[in-house]
Amino acid sequence: MFTNLTTTPVTRRQLLLGGATLGAAGLLSACVGSPRQQGGSGASGGTGTVTLQSSIQDADPKAALEALVAGYTGAKVTLNSVATEQFRAQLTNYLRSSNPPDVLTWYAGSVARAYAAEGLLLDVSPLWKGDGACAGYSDALRNLSTDADGKQIFVPQNYYWWSVFYKKSAFQEWGVQPPTTWDEFHALCENLSGQGVAPLANGIGSTPWMASGWFDYLDLRINGAQYHRELLAGEHSFTDPQVVDVMEEYRRLIPYFDRNMASYSAQEAATPVAQNQVAMYLVGAFATGYFPEDQREDLDFFSVPVINDSVPTAEEAPTDGFFAAARTDNPEGALDLLSYLVSPEAQQQYIEASKSSNLPTSPDVDTSSFSPLVQKGIQLLNETQEITQFFNRDSSDALQATADTALTRFLAQPDDLRSILEEWQRAAEGVFSS
Amino acid sequence: MSAALADVEPEVAPGRPPEPRRRRRGRVPLLVWVFLLVPLVVELFWVFWPAGNSFSLALTRWDGIGAAEPVGLQNFLDLAADPIFRTALVNNVVWAVGFGGLSVVVGLSLAVALNKPGPLVGLYRSAIYLPMVVSLAVTGLFWRVMYQPGGPVNAALEVVGLGSLQRQWLADPEVALGAVLVAAVWRQVGYIMVLYLAGLKSCDATLEEAAAVDGAGAWQRFWRIVMPQLRGVNMVVFAVTVIDSLRTFDIVWAMTRGGPYNETQLLSTYMFQQAFTTGNLGYASAIAVVIFALAIGFIITYLARQARTED
Repeated sequence: MFTNLTTTPVTRRQLLLGGATLGAAGLLSACVGSPRQQGGSGASGGTGTVTLQSSIQDADPKAALEALVAGYTGAKVTLNSVATEQFRAQLTNYLRSSNPPDVLTWYAGSVARAYAAEGLLLDVSPLWKGDGACAGYSDALRNLSTDADGKQIFVPQNYYWWSVFYKKSAFQEWGVQPPTTWDEFHALCENLSGQGVAPLANGIGSTPWMASGWFDYLDLRINGAQYHRELLAGEHSFTDPQVVDVMEEYRRLIPYFDRNMASYSAQEAATPVAQNQVAMYLVGAFATGYFPEDQREDLDFFSVPVINDSVPTAEEAPTDGFFAAARTDNPEGALDLLSYLVSPEAQQQYIEASKSSNLPTSPDVDTSSFSPLVQKGIQLLNETQEITQFFNRDSSDALQATADTALTRFLAQPDDLRSILEEWQRAAEGVFSS
Repeated sequence: MSAALADVEPEVAPGRPPEPRRRRRGRVPLLVWVFLLVPLVVELFWVFWPAGNSFSLALTRWDGIGAAEPVGLQNFLDLAADPIFRTALVNNVVWAVGFGGLSVVVGLSLAVALNKPGPLVGLYRSAIYLPMVVSLAVTGLFWRVMYQPGGPVNAALEVVGLGSLQRQWLADPEVALGAVLVAAVWRQVGYIMVLYLAGLKSCDATLEEAAAVDGAGAWQRFWRIVMPQLRGVNMVVFAVTVIDSLRTFDIVWAMTRGGPYNETQLLSTYMFQQAFTTGNLGYASAIAVVIFALAIGFIITYLARQARTED
């Protein structure tokens, strides 16, 4: 409201109108909040009512989660869907409120640990012990879901891999093969450019974080996962020679990108690939859902080739799932809902209904019926030595914003590299100090 | 503002004897006071109190939930060194001049052109006014489609042989702000045109005829005869334009979100981003204070000038 007053000389009538709007908003939110409060007060006996706050917005996964929740019989679940960007901005508020949503969707890794460090997340280690729902999960997932104190605070539900996706039929048409070395990759890009095909797709317009995909992979291939994690934790400077090496390698790719990438979102960038105008797309497996249904069989992928063979192999495999608020008034209900949501049956149902290529976290899900593409993804992740999440998940949403500015500017003005990195470091220091 | 003026009033009329005024006040029914008090309380609580808070918040670092940590004038020092803030400030000036200038020039020209009776004039007027009924956010979404890489704007340039002018309109920092400006002006022009049309209707046609008889050219007649009669409308248009340009937020947010890499950030979008995306409410309040200072400075200058010309 104060924005209104300070930006414009408003009339008295407008002010009153604004006041009335705010009042109405307050009433509305009171209405939204009330069912949960009733449920909470009646929760002492059974598992009562549980609120699930979801940031999932893509149509199929959203419907899949709704179907999953509808099948839960343990308690009455109130499912609130919030637009992802708003959810991100409000997440701290949700967790800190005195009457928080009980269970929330979000991401594993540093981003969840940061909330745990503030004491905002419920200890879910009962689910990871004995015959708990997560007891049989891989050690990698267990580590990913464990906070600095050694207790589990996250319940992973599915994950996916990043790779360079392409259409088999298009590669055949252009007479090219997926590359196995970095030199072959460059030769392939040259070849495709010569044929009038843009080699690399990307969409950094309304989804500027997509620019971090190549940054992450080049850093993983040149400096390795260890250095990458330390860099994102603030232990190295973005002006380091190691980062300059990464950016120089990135600069070599710039001529190969779709020249419209700055106008596209991640989803729009898939369209020219589907139309055989652009050849390859480094993106998460969720992107298979961006392609027309009759093209999904045609999709294949290869991992970004090795650049420096002295660093361990690494892949990005972001893990999605749930955590619960520490201040929930119904911890038993929250744990019970979490157990249900990540049970093998629920995971299988969710993945099939969401029509994505995401992988189940539970080892008990029968993956034999999943598509060959997904089988290949599982194999890729099983064979790699290191797994990272993604820039924002390995650091924080605030650091991601600094990367968005730096990398999108770099892609437009690569000659300003020095000043861009200095500006990036300044912004990152601001994030780490706050 | 109105409260301040009411306070001043007794001093402007000191010569009046106090006796009859007290009697008049006594005659005001209680109900009227209640009617006045209720909005006053609402306004104080919902507007002035939060607005006052934004001043004190500007001196703190606050994430919106925990305790605010006082940092003195540090936020303002940070602002002075913040390159994005400087970009936003410059963009705001460009926006105010471009938005105001373009919409007034085009709106006035259209009003003059469509003030004459002719075939389909009503249709033209409605067509030009039509964008005004669309909200700014929808205008932004609509123009985003127009500006897409393979969208109508680039396609039209290709067809008329100006393919070399094709751009990534919203992704190229050199043209992005201009592209948003065009969309905003497209919507505003119809409004300004209607205001001027109303003004032109109330102009005395006989004065213009007399001037024509005296041998004044069309240009002279417009500037010497018509424009002075439009003074009242000019003031309204000026106020509307300035207010609209200062409060611009929605169309920029819908079209570019301040991108690419903060090059189309306005003070309002940067403030919103700092407050509600990054969660720096103290820093955002400092930006709000700057916007307030600019707006107030502008209003005071404007009122002072008005007062002078009326004297």
